[in-house]
Amino acid sequence: MTDKETPMIDSPSRRRFLTRTGAALLLAGVAPTRRPGAAWAAVQAKVGQPAPAFTAPSTAGTPVSLASYKGKIVVLEWTNHECPYVRKHYESGNMQALQREATGQGVIWLTLISSAKGEQGYVTAAQADELTVSRKAAPTAVLLDEPGTVGRMYGATNTPHMYVIDTAGTLVYAGAIDDRPTTRRADVQGASNYVRAALEALRAGQPVKTPITRAYGCTVKYS
Amino acid sequence: MANRLLLAALAIGMLLGPAGALPARVDAAPAHKVAVGLIAEDSAIEPGAPFWVGIRQRIARGWHTYWLNPGDSGEPPTIDWNLPPGFTAEPIVWPRPERLRVGPAMSYGYTREVVLLTRITPPADVRAGTRVTLRAHVSWLVCEKTCIPEEGDVALTLPVTTGRPAPAPTAGAIATARRFVPAPSPWPARMQATADTVTVTVEAPGLRADRITEAWLLPGRWGVIDHAADQTLTVDERGLTLRIPRGPLPEATATDLDGVLVVRERLDRGDSVQAFAIRARAGPPATAGTSGLTLAAAVGLALLGGIILNLMPCVLPVLSIKAIALVTHAQTSTGAMRRHGLAYTAGVLVSFTALAGLLVVLRAAGAQIGWGFQLQSPLVVGALAYLLFTLGLSLSGVLTIGERWTGVGQGLAGRPGYAGSFFTGALAAVAATPCTAPFMGVAVGYALTQPALPALVVFEALGLGLALPFLLLSLVPAWRRLLPRPGGWMVRLKQALAFPLYASVAWLVWVVSRQAGAEAVALVLAGLLLIAFGAWLHAVTRATRSTSGRRAASAVALACVAGALALGPLMAPSPAPPASADPTGAQWEPFTPRRLAELRAQGTPVFVNFTAAWCITCLVNEKVALHSPAVAEAFARHGVVYLKADWTNKSPEIAALLESFGRSGVPLYVVYGRAAARPRVLPQILSERTIIEAVETL
Repeated sequence: MTDKETPMIDSPSRRRFLTRTGAALLLAGVAPTRRPGAAWAAVQAKVGQPAPAFTAPSTAGTPVSLASYKGKIVVLEWTNHECPYVRKHYESGNMQALQREATGQGVIWLTLISSAKGEQGYVTAAQADELTVSRKAAPTAVLLDEPGTVGRMYGATNTPHMYVIDTAGTLVYAGAIDDRPTTRRADVQGASNYVRAALEALRAGQPVKTPITRAYGCTVKYS
Repeated sequence: MANRLLLAALAIGMLLGPAGALPARVDAAPAHKVAVGLIAEDSAIEPGAPFWVGIRQRIARGWHTYWLNPGDSGEPPTIDWNLPPGFTAEPIVWPRPERLRVGPAMSYGYTREVVLLTRITPPADVRAGTRVTLRAHVSWLVCEKTCIPEEGDVALTLPVTTGRPAPAPTAGAIATARRFVPAPSPWPARMQATADTVTVTVEAPGLRADRITEAWLLPGRWGVIDHAADQTLTVDERGLTLRIPRGPLPEATATDLDGVLVVRERLDRGDSVQAFAIRARAGPPATAGTSGLTLAAAVGLALLGGIILNLMPCVLPVLSIKAIALVTHAQTSTGAMRRHGLAYTAGVLVSFTALAGLLVVLRAAGAQIGWGFQLQSPLVVGALAYLLFTLGLSLSGVLTIGERWTGVGQGLAGRPGYAGSFFTGALAAVAATPCTAPFMGVAVGYALTQPALPALVVFEALGLGLALPFLLLSLVPAWRRLLPRPGGWMVRLKQALAFPLYASVAWLVWVVSRQAGAEAVALVLAGLLLIAFGAWLHAVTRATRSTSGRRAASAVALACVAGALALGPLMAPSPAPPASADPTGAQWEPFTPRRLAELRAQGTPVFVNFTAAWCITCLVNEKVALHSPAVAEAFARHGVVYLKADWTNKSPEIAALLESFGRSGVPLYVVYGRAAARPRVLPQILSERTIIEAVETL
């Protein structure tokens, strides 16, 4: 708290981000379907609109495309296993239960890791698989988004940050997992789970009642 | 009083003793990234008297904790109080946060050190001589790149004493934190949204456009704006506008937004960064004003206000002239009488149209002025003093030139003198402007938020109200029978009525003294002397046979008047230093937005008196109600700080605050309570009772 504010670093940082993203795309072979350099806003995910298509490598080493799940409900979960907010939902078993419940009903669950190399939450494919086993997690696939391209495209700022895409490919939910923005494991009990509510609404053929919420958690450790 | 304070200080000293001087502090474990402590402003608790404490976070270098709206990630700290029975704690008062950019996201939080202020009210029956321990469990999230949730217990033991306690050693840290608490914005703000942009407009005409180097909005809640996006600032003479990419929550722009506006201003000695708590009203710029009046209601109020204006002290002297004219004309034909009434009404309306038109035009050009603005210039006040003085001389019989203008004695002379009636009407309107009648403030406030045409309609209604009593008397012959018959008594009455005019002159000279100081008073008095001499010379030489002698005298008289007028521009506005206090009445401090903000942040009740030396209603209210010993006593008993917003000279800050209450003129009386509740506006005609009741029900 001082009279001197943090200097405005917006424009240079955004420019740096764009050039970096461009470079990262070439290197990592992650290919958003729309041109990324043109305008960032043009590929931003927006609730109520078609979910931006992406392709990212899974821990199995095969590229996974959102487009290949057309006709299915897809859940995106941004994660960082060291983040206290993520740990709240894994150590309480809350996240795994939701994954099982969803995938058991034919929902595609993609867990994404956008932590840059050297940052908190960064894992290799093998480490990610090991985490899935040790935490008894049940996602359809874990995708490695080390350049952060998909995360930025979806505006993922937090871990956990949750997205639900309906069978028509429309983004119908973006935000928090539930309404208790804390790290206390006990708060899982009695919390209203927004993702479960969205999935139930989709199954019942009804509009999602709360389509946008403020995600809570740690910042995504982008490059 | 001083003795009581001394005793209290001694008592505290004895209670604390050599060992008890430092409040106990329990810091969180050293492994934490944040060390928390509970600190107090006062060294003791006074039964029933609210006091300030703070949760101090000392944050490890490179790490940050969060504000009320943490931004795109993070979590605000929480304080769970565990207080002794009867103690209550208010919500956290947050110092302004920094913007912390983390990758593509934006966080709002604190680095190094922050004190989260909280006001605690002890029960009135807590026993003096005992010691009280305040406890709280605090949890917070602290982040660098990674985030760690931390928590800790804090406690603070304070003695209970009677009388005002001395400041604690930690009072400085509380005071520092308070400096960073956003001040309540004196400016109205609005928020408009398109599909992808939120535009926040702050009507801050007091800000120097060329000095604002940066400004940004910190929204109080998530979803309204894209926190991480650039905010495009434009500043003009009307205020500042921020254009910000819209946030993700579509319905977020539909409700009013509380937030903090941070403004960086380039001063002669470095930059100053100030934060203001604003409430941006959702929706397009209001066209119906903040009061939500309809045009018809405003016209009705204006008419009523205009009628009552006849009874106000500033209009009465001018009306005394008209009163005599009326008695005189009462004996003339009904047709002539009616024409006099219509001429008078026309004079009032033309005068109001001119004043209102000028006001509307000047405001459209960006001037921050309101009703009564013309009297904010010592030049105009001086000119008005000359005019009333000349009329007074005419009534006293020194000068006969006035007959043609004032209409006095014209009925006897058999001349119609409609111009005189018209002029009296015009003069009544000019003299009426420093007065505000009940209902009038609301109507005029409404008018000034309107486009030119409805605004003029409201002003015309006000003028019609002012003219109405005389108009009716002139139109309805039956009512005139109630008037006395003219006779020799009229000459005496005429002379007697000069004195209210001289009184008005004396008051106007005093106004000039407040506006432009002693030199200006000397100039105005010299001007009055010249006018008196010119008038006398003109009168005594009228009877002279020699035409050339008369001409010479007239020329000298005219030169005197010209000289008097030429003195005017020599006056430079230089406000006299405000008197510190009325000897009998309540102590007051001059209003500044910063002082009001400070007091509001402390939760101190505040009474704001918007006044001006040229506003007679204001002065009467102060004399009969506001500055009475009973009111002073009530203010003292309830700890109310009395701020005086003196609008005698131009002040965009005061004008803007008036406008935020839907007013454009003085008087206005506002009481702010302890809590963040909306301030209460008191009636324009004050009584002791009204003020005391308002203070007691805070």
